[in-house]
Amino acid sequence: MIAIASPSLFQSHLPHWALLALLALSVMPHQAVASDARAIATTICAACHGADGNSTDPAYPKIAGMDEGYLLRQLRYFASGKRRNEVMETIIKDIREADFSSLANYYSAQKPLPGKVNNAQLAAVGKRLYEDGNTETGVPACAGCHQPDGDGNARFPRLAGQHQVYTLQQLGNYHSGRRATDRLMVAVAQRLSADEMKALAEYVAGL
Amino acid sequence: MGMVKKCWAILALQLACSGAYALDAPVWVGINDPAWNEMYPVRVQAMQAKGDAVRGEAKFVICQGCHRSAAVGRVDGSYPRLAGQHVSVLIKQMTDVQTERRSNPKMQPFIHLHEVLPQNVADIAVYLHGLPVTANHGRGPGDDLQHGQLLYMKDCATCHGKQGEGSDEQFYPRVSGQHFNYLLRESLIIRDGKRRNAHPDMVTVIKRYTDKDIAAVADFMSRLPVNP
Repeated sequence: MIAIASPSLFQSHLPHWALLALLALSVMPHQAVASDARAIATTICAACHGADGNSTDPAYPKIAGMDEGYLLRQLRYFASGKRRNEVMETIIKDIREADFSSLANYYSAQKPLPGKVNNAQLAAVGKRLYEDGNTETGVPACAGCHQPDGDGNARFPRLAGQHQVYTLQQLGNYHSGRRATDRLMVAVAQRLSADEMKALAEYVAGL
Repeated sequence: MGMVKKCWAILALQLACSGAYALDAPVWVGINDPAWNEMYPVRVQAMQAKGDAVRGEAKFVICQGCHRSAAVGRVDGSYPRLAGQHVSVLIKQMTDVQTERRSNPKMQPFIHLHEVLPQNVADIAVYLHGLPVTANHGRGPGDDLQHGQLLYMKDCATCHGKQGEGSDEQFYPRVSGQHFNYLLRESLIIRDGKRRNAHPDMVTVIKRYTDKDIAAVADFMSRLPVNP
């Protein structure tokens, strides 16, 4: 009887979720920066990286949840030519430098989806390397810089859940010196064997 | 006018350079042994910089892939323990590797001046010195300890201390709490002239040592009390 006598105003007109959605919409126009970044992400970046930064094509990196500072630096490297990549070199020209910060902010705020380990045995080899390094050849434990969970930070990128193909490609680029945006990583990659690279790529995909 | 200005500039430069050796008259004034304790610019800069442990901890991230979190090193001796080492020793060793006065190709890229500046060296050294030394380090087989003790007390204790405590003032490393295999390896390469930056007196002493002598001393050192 009491419940009927005092119906909530919310329950009588709209469900909670609809009210929350309306509230969110009413806030959005004030956040011009954020919506610009989303628009750029959807129209320019999404084809390869996905609108939410979880690319489905393993040739292109997942960038969701990567550190904002790291993403911003990479955008600047691509723009200046310090980091080379045929696809990015062309596409970066369509993005204004003034939008780099909000774009980095947008993708770092996206939720990263987990990757998939295809070969558990190989991943186990990778795990040992990732956590202990190779004392014979002077490979440091990756966990030292990229953190045990592969979450990374402003200097060292997130590796967790990354596509095997992409991780392997970048390790190869560091090894050959094609990518030299971080001298430490060049030194590390030059000490890694091809088999070790494959094992590491397999392991971090499952982090 | 130009000449006067130039003279002033030279004087100022000389003052700036000599300041390191004159201001507080630190103990290392006058030490300039090119084979062991040369005071080259990056080392002087690191010694003059005021180290900050918080900054040091942040910078140490790039070292912990090998030396491990809290600088405990590896029990197998592949990488030394750095926790609790003297600041002066840490600075000397870091800058010696940096400037290739100490041969260490594995570490070289990670301590390169592109990556680690004298201020960073000072920060890292202060951070490491303040870390606790625990008794879970690698030890030797323990089968020749009397021989090791005899040699250590006769030849090593004068500099490295009866308890293996070393000396911050004299740049002598603390050896207690260090991993056995590291002590063994470094002693061998010092004897064989491959490390290059050891004290000449140590080289003279250790030259006479057989592999068996060195193993016995390293074993004894690895068993010195960690917190005497």
